[in-house]
Amino acid sequence: MAWTWFHRLGSPPYIYGLAARLTPWFAWSAAALIGGGLFGGLFLAPPDYQQGEDFRIIYVHAPTAWMSLMVYSTMGISAGVGLIWRIKIAHAVAASCAPIGASFTFAALVTGSLWGGRMWGTYWEWDPRIVSELILLFLYLGYMGLRSAMDDMQRADRASAVLAVVGIVNVPIIHYSVLWWNSLHQAPSVMQLGKPTMPASMLTPLLMTLLGFTVLFAALLLVRLRAEILNRERTASWIREAVTS
Amino acid sequence: MSEFLNMGGYAVYVWTSYGLTLAVIFLNIVWARRLLAKSREDARRRLAMRGEQS
Amino acid sequence: MNTSVIETSATGTSAFEAARLVLARDVRLALRKRGQLVQPLAFFAIVTTLFPLGISPELSRLRDVAPGVLWVAALLSSLLALEFLFRDDAQDGTLEQHVLSGQSLTWLLFAKTVAHWLLTGLPLAVMAPLAGLALGVPAAAVSGIVLSVAIGSVALSLIGSIGAALTLGVKRSGALLSLLTLPLSMPVLIFGARATELAIKGAGFAPPLYLLGALAVLGITLAPLAAAAAVRISLE
Repeated sequence: MAWTWFHRLGSPPYIYGLAARLTPWFAWSAAALIGGGLFGGLFLAPPDYQQGEDFRIIYVHAPTAWMSLMVYSTMGISAGVGLIWRIKIAHAVAASCAPIGASFTFAALVTGSLWGGRMWGTYWEWDPRIVSELILLFLYLGYMGLRSAMDDMQRADRASAVLAVVGIVNVPIIHYSVLWWNSLHQAPSVMQLGKPTMPASMLTPLLMTLLGFTVLFAALLLVRLRAEILNRERTASWIREAVTS
Repeated sequence: MSEFLNMGGYAVYVWTSYGLTLAVIFLNIVWARRLLAKSREDARRRLAMRGEQS
Repeated sequence: MNTSVIETSATGTSAFEAARLVLARDVRLALRKRGQLVQPLAFFAIVTTLFPLGISPELSRLRDVAPGVLWVAALLSSLLALEFLFRDDAQDGTLEQHVLSGQSLTWLLFAKTVAHWLLTGLPLAVMAPLAGLALGVPAAAVSGIVLSVAIGSVALSLIGSIGAALTLGVKRSGALLSLLTLPLSMPVLIFGARATELAIKGAGFAPPLYLLGALAVLGITLAPLAAAAAVRISLE
């Protein structure tokens, strides 16, 4: 029973249909969560006693930073799966992740820079987390660049997968850099289980945006995945029905 | 209201960040949808060409 | 001209022995093309010369920027030298022979990278203090510069081997190779420049040197594996 489900996941027409059905659910949920979270962050959360109003950047900076890491992890893992078990759909997933991840990493760097401009008095600092986040952006761009440099799809898949897997080492570096080094970034305040140090009125919108962005990623991924599948499957018989509906 | 928009003097930081993030979200949506539309169009064209050949 | 490697692998040579042979062959062949070897070093000399011309001839000011200048120049030179790592062997089919030989490709590529370091990184470690002295660095800092560049260039060669393997057969791969290699090389740059800076100030530069060593060790253990996977994919 379980294997049927697993085998279906490797079937492009099944994934295509599933993606088409799921996308609206993810898209609208994301809109609600992000809209609600940003609204709560801007209007309902009280101003921080230390930073005043501009701590509210956290409601866009934290989700975009979270996205940059989560998307890369997804990309790296699916690239690895595609590389090791030669599952083509996994490569399609990885390829779909890259542009999404790159753009949100860029957003994370810029929002972080703007927040830092106020908080630390400098728009750019070479602290470990910022540098490794910048490396992450270059890894995304390198993945996309390597793909586009190769005409043969299979070679592009596998070569870029090697890069994606090698770059995974960067993800824990980014996450733990604030613990390992004395740097400008503060220690994680949300992720510690047990006692969050933020009051609920501040925390809830943050959790909403974090979840909302994640769901948005799922929706974007599914849309791009469908495009990838169509491009890869070329003239397979099931496509006729799928694109003329 | 103007005080809110001013964000305690740091308006440019906060609103630029929100604006940029929303722009990135919006661009992602547009880009993804356009990619899918193009792929569907390409697939239709390929099928049409094959239909003519057979 | 390289039949010795193929024959011995057929008779069951150990991976280490095969690696040693590849290393010796690579060094021998490269020494025949000395012009090619000198290019990265000449580039390094030119780049470090450009900075005093562009910034200021005052030694006190140059001394402040010397760590960054030396290390950026070293990074770019090693990037330039990466072109020679696999190119010749890929073109004449030797690399394919390595893959087909049944020997551990990881070890063979590791040997090639070590040869590459001996031919490019080590000379760079000798040249760097000279350039440093020209930039107003005190003589006492020479040992720090030599050590940090020597160890750092090990990491750079290894990190670079991954990018070089991935871009085999990509035409005009220079920009792409830089895009792949430079980000992963950033930690080497940071720690290397830090060690050089401390050496110039006369302070203890051991901590960043240890970190450079750690990066080199990480590279030694992981890079040849990734490079081997990449070479196989490139030659499929």
